[in-house]
Amino acid sequence: MIMKKFINEPGNLTTELLEGYTMAYKNKVKLVNEKIVVRANAKADDKVAIISMGGAGHEPAISGFVGDGMLDASVVGDIFAAPGAPKVFEALQMFQRDAGILLVVLNHAGDVMSANMAMQMAERSGINVKMLLTAEDISAGLDTPKEDCRGLAGCIPLYKVAGAAAEAGQSLDEVCDVASRFNDQMATLAVAITNCTHPQTGQAISSLADDEMEIGMGQHGEAGGGLSKILTADETAKRMIEPLMTATEVKSGDKVQLIINGVGSSTLMELNLVYRKAAQILEAAGIETVPGVIGELLTVQEMGGFQMILCKLDDDHVGYLQAPSNAPYWTAK
Amino acid sequence: MNLKLFSKMMAAALTAVEAKKDELSALDGATGDGDHGIAICEAMNAAVAAIKPDAAFKQALNDMGFGIMMATSGSISTLLGALFLGMSDGVEKDELNGADIAAMFASGLENVRQQTKADIGDKTMMDALIPAVAALAENQAEGIEAMFAKAAAAADEGRASTKGMVAKFGRARNLGERVIGHLDAGATSITYIFKAFAETVA
Repeated sequence: MIMKKFINEPGNLTTELLEGYTMAYKNKVKLVNEKIVVRANAKADDKVAIISMGGAGHEPAISGFVGDGMLDASVVGDIFAAPGAPKVFEALQMFQRDAGILLVVLNHAGDVMSANMAMQMAERSGINVKMLLTAEDISAGLDTPKEDCRGLAGCIPLYKVAGAAAEAGQSLDEVCDVASRFNDQMATLAVAITNCTHPQTGQAISSLADDEMEIGMGQHGEAGGGLSKILTADETAKRMIEPLMTATEVKSGDKVQLIINGVGSSTLMELNLVYRKAAQILEAAGIETVPGVIGELLTVQEMGGFQMILCKLDDDHVGYLQAPSNAPYWTAK
Repeated sequence: MNLKLFSKMMAAALTAVEAKKDELSALDGATGDGDHGIAICEAMNAAVAAIKPDAAFKQALNDMGFGIMMATSGSISTLLGALFLGMSDGVEKDELNGADIAAMFASGLENVRQQTKADIGDKTMMDALIPAVAALAENQAEGIEAMFAKAAAAADEGRASTKGMVAKFGRARNLGERVIGHLDAGATSITYIFKAFAETVA
């Protein structure tokens, strides 16, 4: 595949995209110490700070969700690469406070390794921090241990819930409890229909044929096993929402949030169709959907496809999802 | 053992891995990405550079762990950094007897185990580290010279055993039975480190 992208020197890609982003949203976010995006207006330090981390190349994730009501900071790695432990530790030092820090980490080997190192350094430096690992991808099967499941875009509504709980003045233990319950009750499944290229190397990072799709593909093009000929929006939605309903054990009377996260080149038009069918299936089962999200939250370059995220909600989650946020890519009033 | 002696042991270990840098990378190149020699030298260098001679032993070990983690990245950095931070957790005195030394290394190993599930038989540095730490404990009443001589021998035996193993961790995992016949680079560098420790205290 020939790569066709507007880039400059590949080695400067991450720096330049972070600079552009923070220039555009300078009323909300700023870039500090090269790879840490923080709020333009810092939160009171008697409230718990929420920090997350991950590689670039997935815009607007993760830095797009830094803002009042959501993240306090994101620690950014190079394209598809985890930030190093020293950078993570630096962010933890920067946000050190008696109220404590919640560090949200997506389960990918490099991120977990850096986070574990940073946590060891933080604990020995007297920093009050707890780590929460998201691993809600169900493509490996429901009996797969959590440690072998990937963290996909479900981290984003989790940032919203944790951020709102922190903003409400909840303690670190309380924020952690709210976020952990949310984490345990959500599930994500991804589908890919077209390939994409690594923006620094031009290498294809998946290899789907023109008439194929794959349910379960990860956000770096890792195989998921659910390869098939391309299906309609309704058939695809059905094939994805059903296992998500099984995984989250939702039943009649439960409340859920349904999110369709476009990963790059699938159009909002298509994503609307997918949301429609999945929501119809939920409603037919007597499950109540709170206002949902259709959009690009965590992308994989120009890959075609989407992630479907189903979050089973407790009452406090419903309130926190509705609470105000001014993060550039998640605004609520 | 005090910090002065341990600093000498670390300096000797750094010299030893630097002398074997190319050999270690070549071993890694057969099954992994071929950078182990560089990674272990960088990590040991960072540890040695972090030692402040006047620090308490516990603090110096903590500084070594931080030094490794701040200066380097990758799995060697994580595991070796965790080893020194864990050793720091296991030390309360500045002059250590045999039991204290054994406890220090056991505490280090325990922290490494928090970072990796690799165990004996998985063709990693753990194949040398676990038996070396066990030998320190078994020989803790025999004097420091015997302790480290036995630990180095145990590490070497563990290293030799990796030749017949299939890898369960790291990039080598994907090569299946093709890695049989190759020594593990991580187990080899741990062996060189313990041999240097043994020669320093002899």
